[in-house]
Amino acid sequence: MSHAPSPATRVTFAELKWMSVCLALALAAYIGALPPWILVLVGAACAIRLGRAARGRGAPGRWILLGIAAAAVLVLFLELHTFNGLAAGSALLSLVAGLKLLETQSRRDLYVVSFIIYFLCLADLLRSESLGLLLYLGAVSWLTTATLLRLTPSAPLPPWPRSLSYAGRIFAQALPIALVLWLFFPRLDSPFWRVPADAHAAESGLGDSMSPGDIVNLALSDEVAFRVRFQGDAPPAAQLYWRGPVLHEFDGRTWRRGAAGFARPAAIVSSGPAYRYLLSLEPSAHNWIFALDWPDRWDLAAASLNGDYMLVQSTAIVRPIDVAATSHTQMRAAEPLGDAARARDLSLPPARNPRTLAYARELRRAHPADRDYARAVLDLFHRDSFFYTLEPPPLGENSVDEFLFDTKRGFCGHYASAFATLMRAAGIPARVVTGYQGGLYNAYGDYRIVHQSDAHAWDEIWIEGQGWVRFDPTSAIAPTRVDASVAEALAAGASAAGRWRRFSWLGNVRLELDALGQIWRERILRFNQLSQQRLLANLGIPEPDGQKVVAAMAVGLGLAFAWLAWQIRREQRPQTKDPLVRAYDRLCRKLATVGLERRPCEAAETFAARVARERPDLGRTITTLCRRYARLRYGPPRSPKASLSFAARVRAFHPPRTPPGGASA
Amino acid sequence: MNLQRWRQAAITRLRRWSVRRHGADVLPMRINRRRIYIVPTRFGLMLGALLVAMLIAGLNYNSNLGLAFAFFMASLVLVAMHHCHRNLLGLSVDASLVADALLGTDAEFHFMLHNESAVERRDIEVRMPAPDGGGADPAAASACVGHLAYEPVPVAVATARRGICRWEQFELRTTHPFGWFRAWTYVHAPLTAFVAPRPRGERPLPAAGMGTASVARAQVRGEEEFAGLSVYAPGMPLKHMAWKVLARGGEPAVRIYSDLGAQPEWLEWSALEGLDPEARLSQLCRWVLHCEAGPPRPYGLRIPGVEIAPGHGASHRARCLRALAAHGAAAP
Repeated sequence: MSHAPSPATRVTFAELKWMSVCLALALAAYIGALPPWILVLVGAACAIRLGRAARGRGAPGRWILLGIAAAAVLVLFLELHTFNGLAAGSALLSLVAGLKLLETQSRRDLYVVSFIIYFLCLADLLRSESLGLLLYLGAVSWLTTATLLRLTPSAPLPPWPRSLSYAGRIFAQALPIALVLWLFFPRLDSPFWRVPADAHAAESGLGDSMSPGDIVNLALSDEVAFRVRFQGDAPPAAQLYWRGPVLHEFDGRTWRRGAAGFARPAAIVSSGPAYRYLLSLEPSAHNWIFALDWPDRWDLAAASLNGDYMLVQSTAIVRPIDVAATSHTQMRAAEPLGDAARARDLSLPPARNPRTLAYARELRRAHPADRDYARAVLDLFHRDSFFYTLEPPPLGENSVDEFLFDTKRGFCGHYASAFATLMRAAGIPARVVTGYQGGLYNAYGDYRIVHQSDAHAWDEIWIEGQGWVRFDPTSAIAPTRVDASVAEALAAGASAAGRWRRFSWLGNVRLELDALGQIWRERILRFNQLSQQRLLANLGIPEPDGQKVVAAMAVGLGLAFAWLAWQIRREQRPQTKDPLVRAYDRLCRKLATVGLERRPCEAAETFAARVARERPDLGRTITTLCRRYARLRYGPPRSPKASLSFAARVRAFHPPRTPPGGASA
Repeated sequence: MNLQRWRQAAITRLRRWSVRRHGADVLPMRINRRRIYIVPTRFGLMLGALLVAMLIAGLNYNSNLGLAFAFFMASLVLVAMHHCHRNLLGLSVDASLVADALLGTDAEFHFMLHNESAVERRDIEVRMPAPDGGGADPAAASACVGHLAYEPVPVAVATARRGICRWEQFELRTTHPFGWFRAWTYVHAPLTAFVAPRPRGERPLPAAGMGTASVARAQVRGEEEFAGLSVYAPGMPLKHMAWKVLARGGEPAVRIYSDLGAQPEWLEWSALEGLDPEARLSQLCRWVLHCEAGPPRPYGLRIPGVEIAPGHGASHRARCLRALAAHGAAAP
C-alpha cells in the first residue's frame, strides 16, 4: 500500500473537522478525570492536523509522529506507573485517538478514530453512573455515527440534518434490540478478573478507630452513606442503629478494633419482629455493610458476619452495591462470653484516667447490679451539667478524666468512650460501636437516606444471661443542654446543601430528585440476575431460572428483529397519501399473492381483462373493482367517500388461492 | 500476499457458484434477497472485536450502563447490517451490454439503476471485475439513486489490447451506511467490449485518386442529385444538414446526394501488402474513421473472412470497427 492515498480516499478538511469535534465532545466528559496535559495534547494534535488540512497539506512525517507518541506514552507511564485500570486505559486511548487523528491521511484512518470515540464513551460509563452522562454520551455517539455516514466518496453529500436524521432513525431501530439484550443477557456473579481500584476512590465515612472529635468531621458532611428501604414494617426512627465497626481496644485516648473481628460470630437467639430491608450502599474505602442491629439473612454471597456481629464484604465496596437483608432488634446470647473476650472488653490502659476509675469504684458500691450501675451512669450524664457540642475543648492524655470532671462538653464519641471506660472500670465488659443512627425519611420514595452526618457512636455492655445490650449515653443528655452550636452547625452544615436538606422548600425538591435517583439506582444500575428472574415472573413465566432468561432473550430478539424487518419494509414501500391509490395498490398486492401479478404496462382495465381470462372465478369482482378504480381516478372528480368505499371493498376482497372448482384455468 | 490469493480464489468460487445458482439473468433485473451477499468489511471486523471488548468490560465491571452502551452498539451494528442489505434490495439494474472503443481509449458501459422504493439508495457501486479474474483493478463507478428515480452510471473500462473483451457478470456493491458491511450481488449478464485497433498508418486510401476526384466532383453542384434525407449521425458533414427540417421541429437530418459517379470505396486487407496484421488493422481502422468523417460516400470493408457491403453512417462504422476488433478473436 502506498503512503500517499489517492485523491478519492484522501481525507477532507470537513471530515477531519467533524471527527475532531466528536473526539473533543467525547473527551469533554473526561475533564477532571484525566491528566490535563493529555487533553491539551489531544487538542493540539487536532488543531495542528486541521491547520495543515486547511492549507492543503497532509499529515506530518511518520518519524515525528512516532517520536511524539513514544514521548507521550513514556510520560503517561511515569505519571501513572501502570496501564492497567480504567483511568490509565482511558488516558492511553485518548492519546492514541489524538495521535491517530494527527497522522490521518485517508478516510480509513478516521474509522479508527471513531472506534476509539465509541470506546471512550463506554469507559466513561464504567466510571460514572449518572443518567445525564448516559444521555450526553448517547448524543456524542449519535454525532459520531452521523459523521461516519458522511465519510463517503460520493458527491454531493446530503445536508447535515438528513445525515443526523438517518443516523437517528438507525439509532431508534437499534433501541428495541438493545433493550432485549440488556434485559435478558446473562450477568456475571463475579468479575472475570479483579479490577484495580482507582486512585481517586472515595475515602469518606467512618474509620476503623475513634479518637475524641473524629466523628465531628463527619457530622458536617452532607454526603450520603447509604439508602435503605424497608419492606413491610420499619422500627421507629429512634431505634434505627446501623452497626458499623465495633471498637475494643482503648489506649486512654483512641479506641481501636483490635483482632476481635476475626473471630466467628457467637450464637444468638433473636426475638421480636424481623425487619426486611434493602440497603443501597455508596462506595467507601472499607468493606463494611451497615446492617440494622442483628442481621440474620442477607443476599450478598461475598458478605459474612464477623466476631462482632458486623456484616462485612470480602473486598472493599468500590462500587455502589445493594444488599437485601433481614434483622432483629432484640436478641439473647446463646453462649457465654469467652474468657479472652471478657478480658479484652474489660481491659483499660494502666495508669490512665485515675479519677474515673476511682469514681467508678465508688458508684459501683452503690449499684451492685450491672443494669443499675449502667443506668446510674446515664443518670449522671442526664443530671450533671453535661453538654452536647460540636466544638468540644481539646483533651489531653487522660481524656476521660478531663471530659467527665473538667470540660463536660463533648460529642457522641466522648460520651461513648466515657461510658465504656466507666463500665470496664466497674468490671462490666463493654465495647464502643460506631455506625449510623436514624436517617432522613424520604416520603417521595418511601426510603431513608442515611448521611455521613448521621454517624454515631454508642456502647454495648455484656449483661450476664442476656448478652450484649445497647446503651446510648448521648441520648441521656438533657435536650436543654444540647449546645445551640450543634443545631446551628447542623442547620448551616458544611455546605448550603445541608441547609436545604432540612429547612426550605428546596429541601423537598432535593428529596424528590433523590427519590428519582433512587429509582434510577434500584431499577437500572442494580439490575441483576434476580431482577431478570423477577421480570420473568412478572411476565407470568413460572419458576424462572437462568435458562428461561436466555430463552426469553431469544424470543425477545426474534420479536425485535421482526419489528426491524417490518420497519425497513415499510420505509421502503413508496408511500402515497391518496387512499384511492393505496387501495388499488393493495388490491394488486392481494392478487399478486395468488399469482396474478400486474405488469407495469397494464392499465387497470387491461389487467382486469387478463385476470378474467386466467381466473374466471375472480373475473366479475375484479372487472367491477378495476372499472370503478379507473372511473374514480381518471373520471370527473368524486367525493372522497367514493374512494373510501372502494378501499373498504378492496379490504373485504380475499382472492382464493385456487379457483373453487379445483381446476386452475 | 498468500491471504490475498486465498481471498481471490474464494471470490472466484463464489462467483462461479452464483452463476450455477441463478443462471443467466435477463436485464433489466430486480435484485431479490436471495442473491444479495453480505460480509463485514475490515472496519466491521474491527468493530466486532471492539464490541467483544466492550461486552467484557461491561460484564467485568458489572456496570449496567456500560452493558447498556455495549448492547446498544451491538444492536446498531446489526441494524446497520440490515440497512446495508436493504440498500441493494429491490434495486433494478439495466445495462448496455456492448461497448465500442478504440485501443487506448476507454470502453464506456452504461448502466441504469432504477430505485422503485421510497428511500434513497446511496453509494451503489457498479463494478466490472478484471475480465480474466486477475488481480488488475476492476473498473467501477458509484452513484446515489434518489427515491423513485433512475440514475445512469457510466463505467469506463481501460482497454489494454485489441480484440473482444467479455465479462460474464458484473457486480453491484455497497458499503452504505457506515462502511461496516459490504453487500453485493452478481448480475450474470455478459458484457462485451469491442476494442478496435489504434487508428494508425500513413497509407493513402486505395482508391485515393478516384476518391479525391469524387470528393472534388461532389463539390460541384449540379452533377450530384438530391436523393433524399437521412437521419443525422455524429460525423456527418454539417454542410449537408437539413436545417429547415430541424427548424420545423423534426429530427436532425442530412441531405443525401447520390453521386452517380462516386463508386463505393473498398477498404481492403489485401491492399496493404507488406504490413503485419496488426498494422493492417490499424490502417484499416484509420481509413474507416477517415471515410466516416468525409463526405457521405459509401465504403465497404474486406478482411479475411469478413466482407461488409458498402454503406455509411454510425451503425455502419460500428459494424466495420467491430469486424476489425473481432479479427482473429473468437466470435462473441
